[in-house]
Amino acid sequence: MAQSGKGKLNFRCPSCFMRDLDIDMFYDKDKKEYYCIRCQYTGTEEDVLAKNELARFRYGAMYKRFTEFE
Amino acid sequence: MEKFVVNIIHRPEMVPEYAEKVTGHGKEEDIGRKSLLTESLDIFKTQQECAHKNGLKTTIQMTYASLFNEEAISLAKAHHEEFGDEIGLTLLGLPCKEFREKYKTKDFCIWMFSMEDKMSIVDDVFGKFHDVFGFYPESTGSYYMDAELTNYIKSKYPSVKCAVATCWEEGPKAYHTCNNSWYTFMDGGPWAPWIPSKQNTHAPAANEEEDSGIVAIPHLSRDLIACYDGNGSNFGTHPQNVLRGMIYDSKTWDYPYLYNLIDQYRSLGKYNNGYAYNMMFVGPGWMNKMGRWEAPYELLKKSYEDGCAYYGKLKKEGRLVDMTMSEFADYYREKKSYTEPECALWRDILYGSDKQLFWYCDPYMRACVNMDQGGAIVDLRPYAAKLEWPVGIGTPHIQDASYPFLIQEKYRAGYFTHYAGEGTVRSAKITYKGEEVDLCQCRTKAHFSQEGKDRILTLDPVDIEFSDLTVKLQTRIIFAEGSGEIKTERRILEMSRPDAEVDINEYMVACYGTTEYTEDMSSIKLSCVGKETVTLDYEYKCREEALEGADEVTAVVPPIKTRVGLRAEGRTKTGYIREGYAFSPMFTLGYTSKLSDKEVFTTWLSLEREN
Repeated sequence: MAQSGKGKLNFRCPSCFMRDLDIDMFYDKDKKEYYCIRCQYTGTEEDVLAKNELARFRYGAMYKRFTEFE
Repeated sequence: MEKFVVNIIHRPEMVPEYAEKVTGHGKEEDIGRKSLLTESLDIFKTQQECAHKNGLKTTIQMTYASLFNEEAISLAKAHHEEFGDEIGLTLLGLPCKEFREKYKTKDFCIWMFSMEDKMSIVDDVFGKFHDVFGFYPESTGSYYMDAELTNYIKSKYPSVKCAVATCWEEGPKAYHTCNNSWYTFMDGGPWAPWIPSKQNTHAPAANEEEDSGIVAIPHLSRDLIACYDGNGSNFGTHPQNVLRGMIYDSKTWDYPYLYNLIDQYRSLGKYNNGYAYNMMFVGPGWMNKMGRWEAPYELLKKSYEDGCAYYGKLKKEGRLVDMTMSEFADYYREKKSYTEPECALWRDILYGSDKQLFWYCDPYMRACVNMDQGGAIVDLRPYAAKLEWPVGIGTPHIQDASYPFLIQEKYRAGYFTHYAGEGTVRSAKITYKGEEVDLCQCRTKAHFSQEGKDRILTLDPVDIEFSDLTVKLQTRIIFAEGSGEIKTERRILEMSRPDAEVDINEYMVACYGTTEYTEDMSSIKLSCVGKETVTLDYEYKCREEALEGADEVTAVVPPIKTRVGLRAEGRTKTGYIREGYAFSPMFTLGYTSKLSDKEVFTTWLSLEREN
């Protein structure tokens, strides 16, 4: 098995992101999956993107444009 | 008239942070790589173009490396001529072949070098700048500028009047986010421009004698709720912060949060005599052609273009004034007195909670009041001590530039603790027939007003429900400019049984430190001062003393040269002091009293330096 490298972008581990950790993942081209070296997350690009959407759950007002600030 | 000022700062960084480490993955390190230099300069040009096409002037902060690059120098000169951009000098971006050869280190944070190296580097960098441009800069900066560094620069290069001097709340939270690899700790500073004291950068100067001679600006304008709770680098007026936080619609690439953040900063003028401030400072590494995090280059570029376009639109509408850093320093000096505080009643614009925090900063303290916890003080930094705190190699705090806290609800718990013990917070408890309610349990909202030198927070009344009594109570918190005191009034507006009497316990649980981990508390001395004085020398023995009619209860905290006191005024009053224990290494200062309908109980928290 050859060494892993970065994927096409610096995808971070979505599981770690949800606990406020920014960890770039590595890409295993044999298995076609990203994996985290800090935790146990592995997933395809599709899964990473889906989990990133999930990570946004905390931003309840992310799409709202505020005009009042009091 | 309200004035919203923006500083837009660009630096031609020839070896951008992240670029070599991240996008150079798989290659041997070579900070002189030609492709890296070319790309860095291209990004700088793009950033400049984004600002200029929106009618905005910038401050070009030359890096040491860029002073060896003819094209970067020519661009700076040309943009100064054509757009009125200021040519300043940053102490970021030190890494380059020339620097590495001379200093033989990979350190790059100016505040962490030894004092000897700091002086030598400053002389090198300022000297090179003078050789290139024929004058010394008026603005400089880094992510942090320690007091000793600033004092040296000001003494040697008096033309400097403005500096980027801290990243707000970039401490243990940023460290953790970077998998414990980001060794910079600078919590506890102001979030908006200030005049640093000669003794400690974070603590504003109280008078001319303490004045360091510069106006400091924070690195970015940050979300005063999100950054306090989470990773600061996700929630600032650095458009790519917002991408790092994934605070955008991944399908449409819209990010209303960025505009909400700018607009909330604009709104802060009403708490600060009509003045509000923003700064945007994006290093070129963040607009890397390879993309950053999950964001492709196109999104990185779009976010920066949109950020500049929004500032440009505000300018065209007459709602924003763009200034260079040195212009801003002049404006600020004219506008602000030493003791005038910076205030921010900040609402949640991200999570949908409607939560409010109030931030207050003056030369004597930085305090945070949490309306979701009934107006509890959840963060307190005793600037009154003007703590000398040298940082860098050869000092006791090589990386830790944070100003110590007495209260920090995230690092040392707040109202909620697990199993046993108490967390740091300043609140009050109301008790009646064996039932107890802490005001931390009462969510409310605050309204700001100013009367003379007092900044007043008036909280909406809260109902405290006991099994056979309901009490309507209102809190007012008053910050008296220049006093080093916080006055708290608790007034009973109504009781379901007007003849009832409740007990009130005004308290402050505190400790000291800069991180999550406890410090040695054994030098702390607690006192109840009145007709007699009762003292406790901290020995982790869980002891408590009380004194009826006490004039004051105090704690002296020698490691941070701070004396904190609590006084009270009411129909009755008993002061008390409480020592912590090993599992709960805190101390408590408090007053108990009785309250009936329409009565008020007032306390003052005071901060002083103690040698």
